[in-house]
Amino acid sequence: MNYFQLFNIEASFDVDIQELSSSYQTLQKTVHPDKFAHSSEQEQRIAVQKSAQINDAYQTLKNPLQRAEYILVQRGVEMPNEQHSFQDTGFLMRQMELREMLEDVKFSSNVDAALADVQNVLSSEFSQLSQVMRTQISENNAASNLAACDNLRKLKFYQKLNVEVDRLEDSLFDD
Amino acid sequence: MALLQIAEPGQSTVPHEHRLAAGIDLGTTNSLIASVQSGNASTLSDDQGRDILPSIVSYQADNILVGQTAQALSIEDAQNTITSAKRLIGRSLQDIQSKYPSLPYDFCGDENHPEIMTRQGAVNPVQVSAEILKSLNLRAQAALGGELTGVVITVPAHFDDAQRQSTKDAAKIAGISVLRLLNEPTAAAVAYGLDSGQEGVIAVYDLGGGTFDISILRLNKGVFEVLATGGDSALGGDDFDVALVDYFVEQAGLVRPLSPSLERQLMQQACFAKEQLTAKEQVDITISLDDNSDWQTSLTKAQLNELIGSLVNKTLRACRRTLKDADITIDEVIEVVMVGGSTRVPLVRSEVEKHFNKKPLTSIDPDKVVAIGAAIQADVLVGNKPDSDMLLLDVTPLSLGLETMGGLVEKVIPRNTTIPVAKAQEFTTFKDGQTAMAVHVLQGERELVDDCRSLARFELRGIPAMTAGAAHIRVTFKVDADGLLSVSAMEKSSGVESSIEVKPSFGLDDNKISQMIKDSMSNAADDMQARMLKEQQVEASRVIESVQAALLADSKLLTTDEVTIIESAIKSLAQVSQGQEVKAIENALDRLNDSTAVFAERRMDSSISQALAGQAVDKM
Repeated sequence: MNYFQLFNIEASFDVDIQELSSSYQTLQKTVHPDKFAHSSEQEQRIAVQKSAQINDAYQTLKNPLQRAEYILVQRGVEMPNEQHSFQDTGFLMRQMELREMLEDVKFSSNVDAALADVQNVLSSEFSQLSQVMRTQISENNAASNLAACDNLRKLKFYQKLNVEVDRLEDSLFDD
Repeated sequence: MALLQIAEPGQSTVPHEHRLAAGIDLGTTNSLIASVQSGNASTLSDDQGRDILPSIVSYQADNILVGQTAQALSIEDAQNTITSAKRLIGRSLQDIQSKYPSLPYDFCGDENHPEIMTRQGAVNPVQVSAEILKSLNLRAQAALGGELTGVVITVPAHFDDAQRQSTKDAAKIAGISVLRLLNEPTAAAVAYGLDSGQEGVIAVYDLGGGTFDISILRLNKGVFEVLATGGDSALGGDDFDVALVDYFVEQAGLVRPLSPSLERQLMQQACFAKEQLTAKEQVDITISLDDNSDWQTSLTKAQLNELIGSLVNKTLRACRRTLKDADITIDEVIEVVMVGGSTRVPLVRSEVEKHFNKKPLTSIDPDKVVAIGAAIQADVLVGNKPDSDMLLLDVTPLSLGLETMGGLVEKVIPRNTTIPVAKAQEFTTFKDGQTAMAVHVLQGERELVDDCRSLARFELRGIPAMTAGAAHIRVTFKVDADGLLSVSAMEKSSGVESSIEVKPSFGLDDNKISQMIKDSMSNAADDMQARMLKEQQVEASRVIESVQAALLADSKLLTTDEVTIIESAIKSLAQVSQGQEVKAIENALDRLNDSTAVFAERRMDSSISQALAGQAVDKM
């Protein structure tokens, strides 16, 4: 049973989050360990295991990048590992520019505005790239799947940059 | 001869009989116990009508005092009277001494297992908590008229693994069966949520004596889904007092170290001043110094606000970050719930109101709301409400990870992941012929090992010699519904396995716990034996009850042969559990459990597919 079947929803990148969440809650009402708190240890153990699996499946489908990866893997696309080098030098150049932009924030005369600028740039480039990947996933042929996979890796770069942004924000405002 | 059916207390003979359960708020400064009686959750009071039990334990020459009687001795006998043990639980000595340099105790024990020297000998903070739990348990037995089947104990959402484990250990020493550890803000949400039946996103701001939590939850048809939680496990109303004490010390020109009783007196006066200033604009303070002279001063509300302003700001920063983690904007929050005695401080209320731009809810007594929520959950968990729609989906408060090369932490389970959760990560060897690998488990958000909390270390040995990078070592992290972590590691090609219940670094090991249980019983060996027998008998009857119910409902999932095997295992367990042999009951239990393992799994799978099949029909 794949994750889409588990939640009884259509297998597509465009998931109805409301529907997913409602199925998720129905399933947890059935298997959550709290429902077995007065049962035998064995039932409690199985409940923990099933509940954890359902949590994992839910997180995977809820998060767009994890969902994309799950769909592509299900289609048999091989995910290159993280160390695998990128051919797209333009993209790599852009990443370096963005990183520099982020590093310059703390030297800016208006830190708040500079940080907001970086966040805006990152989020607009992220959503553009997401749109491209979404189309490629829905086309679902060998070439488009490979292209989607490539863009997924690029999106993960943006995700990492966002973590850096959060860290910077914390360090700037934690006095 | 008349046949008497003897039911052990807390052990039901009839399914769905009302079982006794309670919720315990084991607080830094005060503790409470509550229970659901005829549909209503309320706190239970002692024989003098008091429901708040000060979390204070005093070790006297021939007895141990808990609560108000201990509080009365806290100044004159400061070294033997332990307050705020919750701040010490699951912490290292260095941690305690750097955070609270002026505690009046005589610390002993080792770095990872600090103890306090009292006139009754060395006492671990876990034992201190156990005394408080025992006292509450006795109160509940008296009020409810029987032994409790189980309790829900609340912990700050921000408690780390060592602190959670220690809390559970305290219950074990006190001889109480724990149904669940529940996060305090979630408990408060239950108390409020069930009252109002509201749907949407709520924020719970919980400022207790020693801890601060902020949780963001989505409420939907009985489901309480925690979206994110944050806070500080060492920030609370006590810190307001500490700020005031430091101010007094400076104003009075006192030089530290001060005598233990003067420190205690200053703390009490600080707390008094803080409480008075919730209603008054100014308060007069008198301190009697060690030379018997009096020192007097007055303090205004404005001065207090200035002294605690930065602490309140710290809580608001945590609110901001947690909202961001939850991916929720302030406008989406429909209600802010205030929990914990420290939310009575006017500055806290006004700043929270300003921050969330709405008046916070305080309709349930902020001191009692957590215990009440815990009692509601305990009533459901113990099985008194089989048709309840309530479901709590909580999260891990802190990221869990492993040490990798260069002293860096690789996160395996990020913070705010819904529990229970199981996640695996693969690693490999980096040297040719490497046959062992050290696994270092950490908790925290920082990148460097040194900045995170070390939870445990263990070694996976006996990896077959291979070239570097050829071994596949799979490390699995599991967090259960109590938020407790266990870690296992396995080399995939050879199946060499090594696993650990994460607890050694700061927690007490099992031997030490059973020693403490023995110590706390008058007739050690016999009592211990009786207790183990009782536990096994309760488990046996619970298992038999649930397997019989399962057979009745779902024997269609089994072949006739399988049914026969299970039935005979039930029969032998029922027979053996009438006897006195603990080991024999254990063995019979194992046999029954083995025979039903596949059945239990099939039932769970079948209920999963049925749950949504019903929904699909609903949709059509």
